[in-house]
Amino acid sequence: MLKVENLARYFGGIKAVDGIDFDIHRGEILGLIGPNGSGKSTTVNLIAGLYAPTTGRVTYEGQDLHSLLPHERANLGIARTFQNIRLFGQLSVWQNLWAARVVRETGWSGLKERWFSTATQGKLETEAYLEFCGLQHKRDQLAANLAFGEQRRLELARAAISGAPLLLLDEPAAGMNSEEIEDLDQRIRKLRDQGKTIMLIEHHMELVMGVCDRVVVLNFGRKIAEGKPEEVQQNAQVQAAYLGSDSDDAFMQAALQA
Amino acid sequence: MDFYIGLLQVIGVHTLLGLSAWCILHTGQVSMAQGGFFAIGAYAAGMLTAMAGWSLGPALLIAALIASLIAIAIGFPALRVKGLMLVVATTAFAEIVRLVFFNLKWQVQTPNGPIGPDGGLGFGGIRYFPANGWSGLEILTLIWCLVAGVMLVLWLLDRSRIGTLWRAVGEDEVAAQSAGINLTAAKVSAFGIGGAIAGLAGGIFSHNTTHIEHGNFTILLATFAIAYPIIGGLKSLLGTLVAVVFIQGFLIEGLRFLGDWRSLLFGAMILAIMLIRPTGLLSAPLRLSLFNSKRNAPVDDGKTGAGHA
Repeated sequence: MLKVENLARYFGGIKAVDGIDFDIHRGEILGLIGPNGSGKSTTVNLIAGLYAPTTGRVTYEGQDLHSLLPHERANLGIARTFQNIRLFGQLSVWQNLWAARVVRETGWSGLKERWFSTATQGKLETEAYLEFCGLQHKRDQLAANLAFGEQRRLELARAAISGAPLLLLDEPAAGMNSEEIEDLDQRIRKLRDQGKTIMLIEHHMELVMGVCDRVVVLNFGRKIAEGKPEEVQQNAQVQAAYLGSDSDDAFMQAALQA
Repeated sequence: MDFYIGLLQVIGVHTLLGLSAWCILHTGQVSMAQGGFFAIGAYAAGMLTAMAGWSLGPALLIAALIASLIAIAIGFPALRVKGLMLVVATTAFAEIVRLVFFNLKWQVQTPNGPIGPDGGLGFGGIRYFPANGWSGLEILTLIWCLVAGVMLVLWLLDRSRIGTLWRAVGEDEVAAQSAGINLTAAKVSAFGIGGAIAGLAGGIFSHNTTHIEHGNFTILLATFAIAYPIIGGLKSLLGTLVAVVFIQGFLIEGLRFLGDWRSLLFGAMILAIMLIRPTGLLSAPLRLSLFNSKRNAPVDDGKTGAGHA
């Protein structure tokens, strides 16, 4: 579905991403993990088009994304969330979803659908995703006034409602407690069951190991491992990357064995 | 009576100007070019009626169209700069427009003598209203019909797809892009519609005063243009109108009896308003603004657990 080939991005002398290759297959949940500064978020930004790559290319369904702007990539079918939540703060919960939904309605057919029928497809979908993120009771609140976990959920729903088959989730569990992560796990599975393909960029090992079909591990901008979660866990290089050479970090140890 | 009719005419024209800035502010951009678009509309409409002998309706329409096209042309390069740089760039544009009109000399001979822009002396004799026997009250009616029309259009626009997309872009450009919103289209359309409204306001202004000169279109005018929607609050169109009434009606005319003290009080009152109502006069019910800290506190529904925000 999405193919990343020899992708690299340098910031001055820093090689944030240094020539990585991987594929995302339709219908899977791919985990992209790695220690801090390993180039995960840069990779997402390269795929989404916020940065231009230094070398390499990204193709989506065989189409080279090189010359496409971020909104063109989104309309092509790649939606994303952000590591630091980026909602439309002074818009209501409903409007946040609506804005991402109505982009798809162009021209006269969109106009007719919106104004001249009572229960439009767009409104029904917005309601459905409002339910998906469990915020029906807060539909008219400003997004900026939501609690942290609710904002995460709303951002996820906003990415999903765009209709894009591929979702890039940039650390959706950051700052969440275990209950909320369990909840997120369910939502991600639900999205997959709806036919979405998901790339999950995450620090939280329990979530990644539980939900992902396949995992790609980055370190210092390079891919050091790829495979099923349980295989990757056993990989010596991965353990070294996460734990340092003398592995006495009890927390990470526990996380890896989760 | 004439004084009040004149004041209401000024309020109407300035409301249109404020609404033009409202469009652009909605996409998160601060444009100081509104005075420039206003000037272009003023000169264009004036030249069409006084020099070419058009009637007012088509002249206003074409003036708005010209201002809109120039605004779109300005909107494209404006995409490359943001924030303060955009303020500087649009200020420069407004000054260029003013200086062009300062130097523009183009007169045609009519039975009543030469008519047309005469450089620094200004452009006099835009006498469509007196020549056609319009009374002050009729002009006033026309102005407020236009204000109502523009407000209705913007009200509908704000509730439509375009309004939602403008607001989304104004909130967070990166997020808007990632949601599939075309930043170029959103920003340039805001400039185009804002420019048309400013051009319309300028066209009415020049016919109402019958004499315009470059000094009418200084940076002060552009400052007023963006001050109205900001002081009124971007949430509602009515806020802009309230702010114009407050500034033009109360602060400028209402306090005239204070003489020199007025200027001092003008600044103080604006400052006070921004302190008491930081997000605009009509942004929220008054009682809430006194407890701002509470309103901004995170809301917890009891399910997600506390202490994360």
